[in-house]
Amino acid sequence: MTHREWPLSAGRWVAALMVGAFALIACGGSTGGGGTTTKYIVGVSNTLQGNGWREEMICSIKAQAKASGVVSKVVIANRNTDAAGQIADIRNLISSGANVIVINPSDRDALNSVIKQATDKGIVVVAVDQAVSEPSAYVVSNDQVAYGNLGATWLAKQLNGKGNIIEMRGINGVPADTDRHQGLTAALAAYPNIKVVKQTFTNWSLDPAAQQMKDIFSSGIQYDGIWTSGIDSTVVDQFQSSNKTFVPIVGADNNKFVQELATLNTKGLKGAAVTNPPPIGGAGLAVGLAVLQKTHSYDHVIHLTPQVWDNTTSDGVAKLASTYDSSLDPYYSVAFDVKPYTTYSKQDLISCAGPS
Amino acid sequence: MAATAAEALRPTGIQFGRGIRRFGWTIAVYVLFGVLMVVTVIIKPDYGSFEWNTLTLAALPLAFAAAAQTMVVLSGGIDLSVGPLMALANVLALRAMVGHDLRYSLGVALIVLFEVTLAGALNGVIIVVTRVPDIVITLATSFIWAGLALLVLAKPTPGIPLDFQNLAQGSTLSPWLPDALLLLVVFPLVWIPLRRSRAGLAIYAVGSDRNAAFRSGVNLGLTRVVAYAVGGFFAACGGLALSMTTGVGSPLAGTYYTLSGVSAIVLGGVSLAGGRGGMLGPIAAAYILSLIPAILIYLGIDPNYGQMIQGVLIVIVVMVGGIGTMLRRP
Repeated sequence: MTHREWPLSAGRWVAALMVGAFALIACGGSTGGGGTTTKYIVGVSNTLQGNGWREEMICSIKAQAKASGVVSKVVIANRNTDAAGQIADIRNLISSGANVIVINPSDRDALNSVIKQATDKGIVVVAVDQAVSEPSAYVVSNDQVAYGNLGATWLAKQLNGKGNIIEMRGINGVPADTDRHQGLTAALAAYPNIKVVKQTFTNWSLDPAAQQMKDIFSSGIQYDGIWTSGIDSTVVDQFQSSNKTFVPIVGADNNKFVQELATLNTKGLKGAAVTNPPPIGGAGLAVGLAVLQKTHSYDHVIHLTPQVWDNTTSDGVAKLASTYDSSLDPYYSVAFDVKPYTTYSKQDLISCAGPS
Repeated sequence: MAATAAEALRPTGIQFGRGIRRFGWTIAVYVLFGVLMVVTVIIKPDYGSFEWNTLTLAALPLAFAAAAQTMVVLSGGIDLSVGPLMALANVLALRAMVGHDLRYSLGVALIVLFEVTLAGALNGVIIVVTRVPDIVITLATSFIWAGLALLVLAKPTPGIPLDFQNLAQGSTLSPWLPDALLLLVVFPLVWIPLRRSRAGLAIYAVGSDRNAAFRSGVNLGLTRVVAYAVGGFFAACGGLALSMTTGVGSPLAGTYYTLSGVSAIVLGGVSLAGGRGGMLGPIAAAYILSLIPAILIYLGIDPNYGQMIQGVLIVIVVMVGGIGTMLRRP
């Protein structure tokens, strides 16, 4: 009989544990919230975790929500998932009573029906960073085609129109990656002697990019330049740790890469940073809130035109050096706001706190 | 967990007690799901058919992924290629369905089910013929299926016919009976006949003790191939479910389902050592795993805790299950 009593008490323990856990969760949830005036709930859906750019994007949304003064709560659905998971997340944000939903879409078309469901309920949906094809959504993003085009053109000119380049892309199939690749391909069409000898997908993560560089070094592929979709300083670091001679590298306006461009030019690093500000998230929220409050009307598609900052002139180096911001995370972008849309301060972004 | 359920239901006879012990884990998983649903409704009193639809839609592909893994694990194997097989079904469906009507699409779906079932069977054949461990072969074939999916379709492309999407997205009978829930009917249709057949018994036998099964005259190779083939069939269902819920074909569609499928079967009471467990538990587990992110969003909890909570839940459940099993031994 003794061996039958054990499981019973074990079961009781578990029951107690679980009740405790649920109570804990429930208590955690019941605190906070409760504004006095009519305030809005903001939903955020992001599907790539552990990426500095995306973290900064989310912080900019929180900062803008706080700065706007009309947001009572920011509900964030942030996990590594696919389009099916993002559909569920957006539906859950609709259920949470969100008035504005800011999404970084994982697919251009797969979210259309859920976005339509949201906009039919009067929710303003803003896709930031990348485009969606649903016309009822607002799209606030960097012009990603131009991003690919400008960087590739700079690289082709740097190589005098002749040579082998490596294209280190982002995540296969997501809208921004497709658009950038399209821009790059279009730019290189004008340079028939430039060949893309290797294409990799970094998944916008540091480790795969580092591994891919090691593979490229050991494979003996002949390369004269590298275009990256924003995982840039990792590539520079691999050149340094493997003692390889630098070739021209195109990256984004990420803090650490900007610093490297400004300091390693003396060691032969030539490169260009193409701007792609993560605070586009905050800008998207600002647009969404303005549309919701009818204070301003916007086009459904708003594009920022990227700039190219290179370190081949002394003016360029000075500009890069002054842009580097030691107070920001190395893997954040140097851009802490997107004027004229965002209204928060740099401190707001760094503290990464939403309305409490 | 078995004991908790047993205590709650106060078994009166030996027969009943044995049933509780046999299905204890499954019952416990359903109780856990029920408790979580109650918690959800407490957190969100206006929980309605829209939210229930969200859950059934999110759980559908995962339930199929879990079923695919269950089949293989019951036979004593493991299939790391479930996700890529789903992606393969997903892109094949898109390629053939674009611009066609529902009847044509259903025909395509049948062909896709057949093709991917064959792909699953091929996994099994390679394992049986080469005698290389399942984990190695299916890891290798996972790259093959993923590569094949990329060859079929290089990037996500829209075009799944709306009528076909509505097979999962609609709610024909009642808002509380979404079609995504009704599609689960595939499980009993396949599982019950299989479970009662000689082949089903053989799968359990091979999974629990390969030598004993061999000595009892079970055809080991054939049984394992059948398990992988049925696994492939369920993976194909999962890929088609993704087509229905997203409306696009995506070569990377299955990425998250291999491992979350394993989570679901572990939570659902299928022993990774093989031969123990069933199909009901993993389905409820798929619902639990899809409900957790929703609860976190409703609560506004820092989403970074989401995966942790999921992991802790699995560890607790498996630990308790393990203790239960250990103590039951004489």
